Amino acid sequence: MRKRLGRARDTLAANPTATAVGIFGLVLLFLVATPASWQTSTLRLAVPIALAAIGGIFAEKSGVINIGIEGLLIVSAFSSIIAVHRLGDGGATMGLSNLWWGLLIGVLVSVVVALVFAVVCIDFKADQIIAGLAIWLISLGLAPFVSRIVFGSPNTAGISRFGNVTIPGLSELPILGYLLFDTEPQVYLMLAGALGGWFLLTRTTFGRWVVASGENPKALDTAGVDVRKVRYAAVLLSGVFAGLGGAGFALGTLGTFAGGGDTAINGRGFIAIATYLLANYHPVGALLGSFLFAGLNSLQTALQSAGYAIPTELIRTLPHMSVIVVLVLVGRTRLPDAAGEHYESGED
Amino acid sequence: MTETESEAETGTGSTAGSGQTGEARTDVETGAGPTTEATTSSYGEAETDLAVHLDGITKRFPGVVANDNVDLRVERGSVHALLGENGAGKTTLMNVLYGLYEPEEGRVVVDGTERMFDSPRDAIDAGVGMIHQHFMLVDSMTVAENIALGDEPTKWFGMAVDRARIDREIRELCDRYGFDVDPSATVADLSVGVQQRVEILKALFRGADVLVLDEPTAVLTPQEVEGLYDVLDELTAQGKTIIFITHKLEEATHAADAITILRDGESAGTVVPDQTNKNDLAERMVGREVLLEIDSEPMTTGDTVLSATDITVEDTRGIEAVSGIDFDVRAGEIVGIAGVDGNGQAELIEAITGLRTPDEGTITYDGADITDWSRRRRIDAGMSYVPEDRHERGLVMPFNLVENSILGNQRASEFATDGRIDWENVRDHTDDLIETYDVRPPDPDADASSFSGGNQQKFIVGREFERDPSLVVATHPTRGVDVGSTEFIHDRLLELRQQGVAILLVSSKLDEVRALSDRLAVIYEGEFIDVTDPDEITEEELGLLMAGQRVETDSTGSSTAESGPGIRPDAGETGDDAETNASSNGGRSR
Repeated sequence: MRKRLGRARDTLAANPTATAVGIFGLVLLFLVATPASWQTSTLRLAVPIALAAIGGIFAEKSGVINIGIEGLLIVSAFSSIIAVHRLGDGGATMGLSNLWWGLLIGVLVSVVVALVFAVVCIDFKADQIIAGLAIWLISLGLAPFVSRIVFGSPNTAGISRFGNVTIPGLSELPILGYLLFDTEPQVYLMLAGALGGWFLLTRTTFGRWVVASGENPKALDTAGVDVRKVRYAAVLLSGVFAGLGGAGFALGTLGTFAGGGDTAINGRGFIAIATYLLANYHPVGALLGSFLFAGLNSLQTALQSAGYAIPTELIRTLPHMSVIVVLVLVGRTRLPDAAGEHYESGED
Repeated sequence: MTETESEAETGTGSTAGSGQTGEARTDVETGAGPTTEATTSSYGEAETDLAVHLDGITKRFPGVVANDNVDLRVERGSVHALLGENGAGKTTLMNVLYGLYEPEEGRVVVDGTERMFDSPRDAIDAGVGMIHQHFMLVDSMTVAENIALGDEPTKWFGMAVDRARIDREIRELCDRYGFDVDPSATVADLSVGVQQRVEILKALFRGADVLVLDEPTAVLTPQEVEGLYDVLDELTAQGKTIIFITHKLEEATHAADAITILRDGESAGTVVPDQTNKNDLAERMVGREVLLEIDSEPMTTGDTVLSATDITVEDTRGIEAVSGIDFDVRAGEIVGIAGVDGNGQAELIEAITGLRTPDEGTITYDGADITDWSRRRRIDAGMSYVPEDRHERGLVMPFNLVENSILGNQRASEFATDGRIDWENVRDHTDDLIETYDVRPPDPDADASSFSGGNQQKFIVGREFERDPSLVVATHPTRGVDVGSTEFIHDRLLELRQQGVAILLVSSKLDEVRALSDRLAVIYEGEFIDVTDPDEITEEELGLLMAGQRVETDSTGSSTAESGPGIRPDAGETGDDAETNASSNGGRSR
């Protein structure tokens, strides 16, 4: 068994293009073979996973493993809901819909928390994993706590969500039309984020510096680029992406924030980490990977509502179990060489 | 230039060690601070043909003066060697030039203009490029990405990297300097020699006119070193200026137009290679007379101590790294293994020392089959090991020397009774090691990480040699160690041999394995491509063997022995006369 898995893994690793085509094929098959409602639900559920994963890619590629991404999703989702609630549900402020203000504030809060993480990890040289866990645990407690103060309950009040935005012309296309061009703003953000993230990482100077900073920071330093600044920028960028994911998910998909237990985010940040590892740090790959996990999530919901005699607890583990299976199959992704390591300029 | 240099030589000859060992012409000026301004103009015209002038550089670190009033004058279009032992301050001085360190005193003059570099960026902008000893390359990126890193030309108003332009510029540079480097290759796939060229290209891409190379030959095979000399010639022919840091005398005399020697942070003079010799250089470096030749008297060997039969080892990736190697090491014998790093020597040594289980084959030690023995048992049986990677395996970096001194011996009865360590005793032992092996600074309570590489190495060697071993497995025992200490370690190895200890020596320094070994095996792609008598093979032949090319030799006993019953010594035939022939080209001298 182990041998066979290993061989499957080698085959996959040896043919990255084939693997990518395979995944893409599966996604296409999924699009064609499943009902439309399921597809749209998958896309909407993919938003926090995909955006958080893209954010995580930047942080980790730069050498800072941001395991606190789950926490960033929680704070941004929660603060966006509370912002909309405070500004007035359904209203507008200074000519901009309060939902968009909510999104901005959600992103801002996420960036602030990411900044704290960056300071602790980069300047104070804390262990990145522990700092990341701390970010998650703090967020996990903070959101329901504030919610209890404001709403008297760990769950927030509901708000009216983002509506569909239809792009004229393109929305007439078969399948892709209603999926990609007649959908909610957060889905557009996700698609733009994946493409923009890919461009930023592979085609710009900043992207190259991020990669160099994670692989060999000393090389970057001697080339005259400030590693500290690059890492700060990358971590803050992970805050932006995760913030867009969390706030977009809350404002577009959920319309409320449940603070009990694992909160409404429910481990999606951790699935995001698995997703980008699965995608080998490729932003578009992470988008496709998020479809896989979000699809399983929809499947789980569908199975539950269909009333199969399988314990719901078991069904609910489906996306998480699949993470393990997929990671075993794909094998260990090669982490950036300097990921998790502190860097100080001038050390000899 | 020649004038200046010869003056300098005589000048320093008389004032050596006084701390003001600059050139004769500048003796007056550097002598006192206040006069410096007045003199700037006086030799202003002389400076115009100097690419780099470091004037009275002093750099202090807490507790140490790394550079003490050092002068360095480098003529444009020349190759200038900066020679000195480890810790003499060579790298510090170059880091001052490169803007990594800010000197407490002194001036940095590049191209006739005084500069204050705050960062490498400033140095790069002023046309100074540095090629570090450990390449500053991102292995997973392509050649082009590495060369342009930090200096990428952009298009679309800075939105995207202009990759076409980078490729074009690299090709132009390659054409101009005769390099054969593919910009789209991934750095990890390139040989070390080519990676070095990528580093040089990186500096040229940034418009460097002065190239500083830190120990450029440390990682190269002899053939690659020749290639590097050609590159240096080509660069200087096109008006570039080269400064290279080295502690190897041969290199300095062979490749440089002028040599500045540093000792203990002070300049020990600048000389022209034609007007000096190795003994003089060594003496300036070390501050005393150094015996460069190794006298290894022929030994009568005893019983077989270590015997390896048909050893096959897979590396961590499951690829066969060692394929069916046989050999014996006898008491009182040094068996050398030469080879380019990564040809299986690491795995072979790990199998012998018990850090890795061989997939096939048997290892016997003093007649007992130890193939399945644990590392612990092997240590207890008297096997000493100087590991290749001193940070990874030789020392626990956050431990002090006292704690490090009994690594592997922590259960030995003289240090521990009933599971409790007798720290007083261990401390005495540490003091002995520090004194015998000249570990500096002699502070047993300092963390291992605070010592320089050379001193760490001396400490490890001491610990392992003083264990009273019957077999010493020494991998790169003098890597990163300066001439004086190298001499000492070599002497100790020969003493151990004299006492009847069996020694297995792996080194990438050809002169070292050739001079010390009684028999020399060359490993290539996991097999012994040849087993030779080190006195009968030239460095060139050895280099070719290391590159996998079998040489046709008539010499007895050194023909193909790869699949033989193991290497057998040609007892006694250590023709010492071969030494004189070879040493004319730096063969056996060290």
